[in-house]
Amino acid sequence: MQNLSLTYTTAIQRKPTLKARAKALGRGTKQTRVVHALENVNLDVTYGQVLGVIGTNGAGKSSLMRTIAGIIPPTSGRIEVFGSVSTLLALGIGFNPALSGRANVLLGGLAAGMSRKDIEEHFDEIAEFSELGEAIDAPMRTYSSGMYARLGFSVAATVQPDILIVDEALSTGDAHFKEKSFNKIKELRSEDRALILVSHAMATLREICNDVAWLHKGKLVNRGNPNEIIDAYQDFLHLGKSSVIDEDL
Amino acid sequence: MLSGVYFILIVIIGGSGGVTRYGHLTASLFLFYLVSNSLTGGVKSVTAGQRLILNTAFPRMMLPISATVIAFFKFIPTLFVFMIMRTVLGLPFGWEMLWSIPIILIALIFSLGVAILISTINVYFRDIASFLPYLTRTFLYLSPILYEASDLKPQLRIIEHFNPLFSILESWSLSIVHSQTPNLSSMLISLAWALGVLLIGTYFFLSREREFAVRL
Repeated sequence: MQNLSLTYTTAIQRKPTLKARAKALGRGTKQTRVVHALENVNLDVTYGQVLGVIGTNGAGKSSLMRTIAGIIPPTSGRIEVFGSVSTLLALGIGFNPALSGRANVLLGGLAAGMSRKDIEEHFDEIAEFSELGEAIDAPMRTYSSGMYARLGFSVAATVQPDILIVDEALSTGDAHFKEKSFNKIKELRSEDRALILVSHAMATLREICNDVAWLHKGKLVNRGNPNEIIDAYQDFLHLGKSSVIDEDL
Repeated sequence: MLSGVYFILIVIIGGSGGVTRYGHLTASLFLFYLVSNSLTGGVKSVTAGQRLILNTAFPRMMLPISATVIAFFKFIPTLFVFMIMRTVLGLPFGWEMLWSIPIILIALIFSLGVAILISTINVYFRDIASFLPYLTRTFLYLSPILYEASDLKPQLRIIEHFNPLFSILESWSLSIVHSQTPNLSSMLISLAWALGVLLIGTYFFLSREREFAVRL
């Protein structure tokens, strides 16, 4: 990424309407605001790296991930991506709650870019990892949030991309799920893959990552050794060491 | 059932009926609902796909396209129903009915164009879906469905210049109901409307697609 900037206009109202726009025109009030999400970010990630991205809320972490994944095009600058990208920005993308877990494995796999044949070949592996048992044939609307997260992660983790981007998708779910997904992420670390992990769980980042980048208000503040960067970040926020900081609750 | 209700209405108001009139009404309604279903399915296709758009990179135009495909799959069984109905009604068969194939294609192109256009507009104005029932009802009455195009007085034929569905439905009725070759100029006007709407809709969608992830 070279001199990457992202600026966009978004509606002030959550659901803009024609009626509101007509009223605003009459009153002369603004209906949109400009957001400078990223400013001149320079970042390289090579195969074999596990890059953690930290920052306060609104720092631009998710915007950066979406720009790398090609979901939002940058306003200026340059991104070059070599290899296939898979994103874990949210769990259960493409899932339909009215359908069974089995049918949703197909939907989720297709949404993740897998072929039908790949999904069928990996179905047993996905079902076993999710630990749903017979519940995999029940409609997903009957699932708990933990069951939903387990199935969503099982599908996403089956894809073997060159570049995997995980954006706080693992912060939901119970402790067993967190441990399982944490171990799976560790398994995915290899010399022929790059991982980019956005998380507020500092202990996870210290353990998994070999590089951490700190974003603040859209700018890259620092990058380097995980322990050094995370310590500097916590000093910046005037936070002491505590389990609240180290793990997602 | 809907065509039956409308038929009763036009017999009561207009005083004229007949099997050909009923066949025209039914066939025209079926094709009209292809466009209408594409419009109503397409309007929320992008906003309903918010989670997909925010979290996956894929060609977003697949969303309104899928709405049109669904509308087309709903239209196909009506063709079979109509074929049975026209046999029962004793309407004439002929090779001219094959003109209905390019007319369906034109209607599909038009449906796709409106779905793409309306799905983009809905991202910026979420209440646009509330206007759709009034819009579709207006086009229902302005199109040669409850009446035949040939029944319109010359002074009222000006409608066809402003209604993109007029020529499509006129050609459709001539081919599938009356087994006659449609007017070439009507077909060309229909094609021009369909391609125009598709090009405008596609251009508007592609120019705004970059903003969808931040507007949703």
